Amino acid sequence: MKSVSAVQNEILHRDRTPTITKIALGCLLVLSAVIIFLGYRGQRLYDASGFSSEAGYQAVYALSRDVDEAWKKQLRAQLEAPEGGQREQLEEAALSLLKSAWEAQKSGGEADASAAVASAGDGRRGEMTYKLLYTTYLAAGPKVSSSIKKEVAAVPQGEADAFRAALLSCIADEGAPLPQAAVKAAESLTGEERQAMLFQLFFVSAGSTESGVTENVNAFKKGVRDKAVQLRAFCMIARQEVSWLSQLTVSNSRTVMLMGIILAVDVLLLSFLMMADKSWIVDFKWILILAIVDFLLLFQLLPLVYMVIKAFLPEGGFSLETFKRLYTYPLNLDALKNTLIAGFATMILGTLLAFPLAWLVGRTNLYGKKFFRALFVLTYMVPPYVGAMAWLRLLNPNVGTINQWLRLLFGLSDAPGPLNVYTLPGMIWVLTTFYYPYAFITISRAMEKMDPSLEEASRISGASPLKTVFTVTLPMMTPSLISGALLVFVSAASCYGIPSIIGSPGRVHTVTTRIVEYVSLGSQGLNDATGLAVFLMVLALIILFVSDVVLARRQYITVSGKSVQPAIVDLRKWRVPVTVLVSLFAVVVIVIPFITIFTTSFKVDVGKSMFAAANFTVANWTTVFGRTETMNSLKNSLLFAAVSATVGIVIACTMSYLLQRTRVRGRKIPNFLITLGSGTPSVVIALGLIMTMRGEFGVNIYNTAYIIIVAYMIKYLMMGMRTVVSAMSQIHASLEECSQVSGASWLRTMFKITGPLIFPSIAAGWFLIFIPCFYELSMTTLLYSSTTKTIGFQLYEYWTFTSQPQSCAMAFGILLIVVALNFVLNRLTKGEFSI
Amino acid sequence: MATVTIKHVTKSFGDNVVLKEFNETFQEGEFITLLGPSGCGKTTMLRIIAGFEKPTSGELYIDNQLVSGGKTFIPPEKRSIGMVFQSYAVWPHMNVFDNVAYPLRIKKASKAQIKESVERVLGIVHLSQFADRFPNQLSGGQQQRVALARALVAAPKLLLLDEPLSNLDAKLRESMRFEIKEIQRETGITVVYVTHDQTEAMAMSDRVFLINRGVVQQSGTPEEIYNHPANQFVADFLGKVDFFKGEVKNGRIELAGMNGQAISYDGPRSGKVDVAVRPENLYFTPQGELEGMLEAQYYLGDVDDCRVRVGDVLVRVIANGYEYAELKKGQKVRLGVRSIMVFEDDGQLEQLLKIQT
Repeated sequence: MKSVSAVQNEILHRDRTPTITKIALGCLLVLSAVIIFLGYRGQRLYDASGFSSEAGYQAVYALSRDVDEAWKKQLRAQLEAPEGGQREQLEEAALSLLKSAWEAQKSGGEADASAAVASAGDGRRGEMTYKLLYTTYLAAGPKVSSSIKKEVAAVPQGEADAFRAALLSCIADEGAPLPQAAVKAAESLTGEERQAMLFQLFFVSAGSTESGVTENVNAFKKGVRDKAVQLRAFCMIARQEVSWLSQLTVSNSRTVMLMGIILAVDVLLLSFLMMADKSWIVDFKWILILAIVDFLLLFQLLPLVYMVIKAFLPEGGFSLETFKRLYTYPLNLDALKNTLIAGFATMILGTLLAFPLAWLVGRTNLYGKKFFRALFVLTYMVPPYVGAMAWLRLLNPNVGTINQWLRLLFGLSDAPGPLNVYTLPGMIWVLTTFYYPYAFITISRAMEKMDPSLEEASRISGASPLKTVFTVTLPMMTPSLISGALLVFVSAASCYGIPSIIGSPGRVHTVTTRIVEYVSLGSQGLNDATGLAVFLMVLALIILFVSDVVLARRQYITVSGKSVQPAIVDLRKWRVPVTVLVSLFAVVVIVIPFITIFTTSFKVDVGKSMFAAANFTVANWTTVFGRTETMNSLKNSLLFAAVSATVGIVIACTMSYLLQRTRVRGRKIPNFLITLGSGTPSVVIALGLIMTMRGEFGVNIYNTAYIIIVAYMIKYLMMGMRTVVSAMSQIHASLEECSQVSGASWLRTMFKITGPLIFPSIAAGWFLIFIPCFYELSMTTLLYSSTTKTIGFQLYEYWTFTSQPQSCAMAFGILLIVVALNFVLNRLTKGEFSI
Repeated sequence: MATVTIKHVTKSFGDNVVLKEFNETFQEGEFITLLGPSGCGKTTMLRIIAGFEKPTSGELYIDNQLVSGGKTFIPPEKRSIGMVFQSYAVWPHMNVFDNVAYPLRIKKASKAQIKESVERVLGIVHLSQFADRFPNQLSGGQQQRVALARALVAAPKLLLLDEPLSNLDAKLRESMRFEIKEIQRETGITVVYVTHDQTEAMAMSDRVFLINRGVVQQSGTPEEIYNHPANQFVADFLGKVDFFKGEVKNGRIELAGMNGQAISYDGPRSGKVDVAVRPENLYFTPQGELEGMLEAQYYLGDVDDCRVRVGDVLVRVIANGYEYAELKKGQKVRLGVRSIMVFEDDGQLEQLLKIQT
């Protein structure tokens, strides 16, 4: 029996919890508002400095160009009207030093500044040094000699800080007294000239001479961008507004605002969820959901939304100018047409191939159907650009192997042809051979799930196997068939690897290749790229919506009794001919391309047979894999893929648990976002990240490995999640409940029961994220920097700029690694999983 | 209506023999039930008759025409059979009318004829008003009746039913059982019915084939196999039964562990025996042959389910419901025996009763 007070306590507690929660939520909301305000205020202060806008950069740049003149004027004035006393001596010393420095620099030596500094004596050391600096700067321009730098570095910290602070207070406030060392430099200057001069001095004194003073406008902008925010903060400190909070908010205003907004969104979302749930008890699972949602909002939704906004509001106001410009340009119009035609044709061809293959493999007594199944699925894990390379070798109009055979066979002249891969149909063919497995897998899976007695009922009703296919199997499969077909369409339309390898030499442009070209054109190009990306994104979103929402609802759920082996349709007299046909298909689509890649990698002259005289070499292999850059990019690929897969699988497991084991409201939100991410074309994801992750929104991961890893995760997280979710859905919750009833804690249950049961799926999920990340090309093409090249991108570069046999060696190397990974996966999961 | 003749049919998947030497003839208009625990091979037999599986050896005739065996194999669609599947297998993309009309459309029957036949058969299964509905708008029982109507519409000579009632709830199962039996009686169709539920088998069948581990243990009318089981497995599988060890001595069977108490026996067996007693064949009477102590009783309404300790053995007795009030736990009782089944004790009882799945 509970004591009365305990019961009372409980009632009180129950009553109080919602109130406490509500108050806490309110406080958090207020806090987020305060943070946003602080960020906003910081931003305003920063904006006031005139460095945030393009005009600001230009103004300062113009100043910096003129500044040398200003400095020289100053120096002249100084030399012409020297003042008396100690100061004069100092200046003379500095001047003589300057002269010798000037001479030394001209003759290639370096001036020694220590003598002049030493002569200045203690207490004046700092001032002397800055004067030196100033004069040297005048003489040598942006190049400051190393001994001067050394002297600057040796200035006591306190003195240096005071100098900078004084400088900054002058920058911030024209009326503020100039620091002693700067008086001469800036005294007679006014307005912008003076500002520029003070900035120059500051940059120099802050040890960032190269970035602060330069002839290169981009480097200068970068220098200002990097420093200006902090400058403002220092200014404020200099103006006695010394507070760590101000410093923080001004120098990181965007990050602060971002944090505030995220907090506000989280709090509002949480309140909404709690309100909908009518339960105000804090559940730590929400924190998990919110963390995942935050990640996805920031790195996935924000870039996409920003891109759309940028496309429609290029200059701040609504305008369709970008689209008009883009789509009146014939090249883009062609690209658009090509993308749609290629996507559509690939979809039709791919589905027409996939359905009969899936049916033959799943429902008939075709010879070797298990083997064929594995073979068709295998294509799924081959990087598409490798296929494109193979088909280029086979269907090149001049030296393509198949063309050579055909000419031999039909006695054609040596003129190019008859087939040419550098055309739209050529591209469609290659796309089809690489994307039909998508439809094949979707349809096969649906066929496996379909209750075989539905077909048996048709047979027993008197329908022949073929009639059954058309009256029962096909109509029942329609939703899966369409979603498989749409998947092929969107994959083909957003593919970059194949069009970039086949399209560029053949001048067959697609939206993806145009986007990549535009991005390489700089900031105006970025704007144009968004216009194209929006087209691709809308296409993908419509398809995602149709297949995930419309079709999913139409999916027939069939009550399956005991698992009966489906009745196998006897092909009888057709068994041998059909098997031969399927084998032929496999040889053409899979065997020949792989062999081509393999043999090409050993050739000296790609136009001749591998066995021709003096045409066999292993040099391609040794060269490619002997290069440091190959090894570096391989290392990068392995690292990025491993990090993406590991972080991804942790998120996937969390999500699976939330989806399958809890009824927490809102668990569908991250699920939706993850689905959205995987449905977004790679090029679009990468472009969005480029446009938003350069500091504009408080996060700057541009040109780092992080931006690549983030992109990989957004695109491929789904692959891992689906595996874990389906594994978890097959473990009945009672298994876990039973463990908990037996006295095991939640954690112990996870480790002892759930963990071991779903481990194979977790491993599989990890590999399913890892493998596509490992050979990724489309996103890396846009996101790489010189230190973050990956193996896929390296291969593309070799293929385009170096040597085809060498890149074939590399491609085969990649294939071997992927096959090896697949083997490991198969072993690890005891044969349950492989791609 | 059709006869089905099964000659030495054996079916194995790899090394796993699921059906051994099935050898039987189903007569015209007979209601045959293949009964047995799951995995016993009964569904395999049904699928062989339907033509979804080929026998490994042996022959199958429908109406004396060879349909499976040797090099001959007639595919399911050419066998003129109706079949109802455990999962109903009602096509979700067609409405009730189209589902039922399907076999007739395959046969290219005329529109009028299709309409007439479908309406007639929907009438039989009481679904006339649901013709336009789609399967997802129907309950499980209604879907099952659609499946039944579809199986009957083309007037097949043979109807196969694969555990058709196992996905229904208890009440519905009982009424459907009755309906199926009625339809069979009216149409006179030959029915092969597969189930693991002995009550279904008993209630509907003309002949029951009890199968275990791929072998027919016994066939016969429900009454025959219930009252005269061929072996311990049959006795055990049908109804409730307690087994006791015993020894025949001077026209009585002395039961092991019961302090030498014995029951009278005038059968042919001698020596060591297995005695199978159905609890409803024991009753309380002052003149009873066995003496024991009432250890527990459970009131189930119509009956009183009792446990009586006789010697060291606990014996189950199903008495009439009203006796519950007259008896008291711990009281001394005497048990009369209406009938017993006696089998030779070959030491294999445990092994025999084991159900292989």
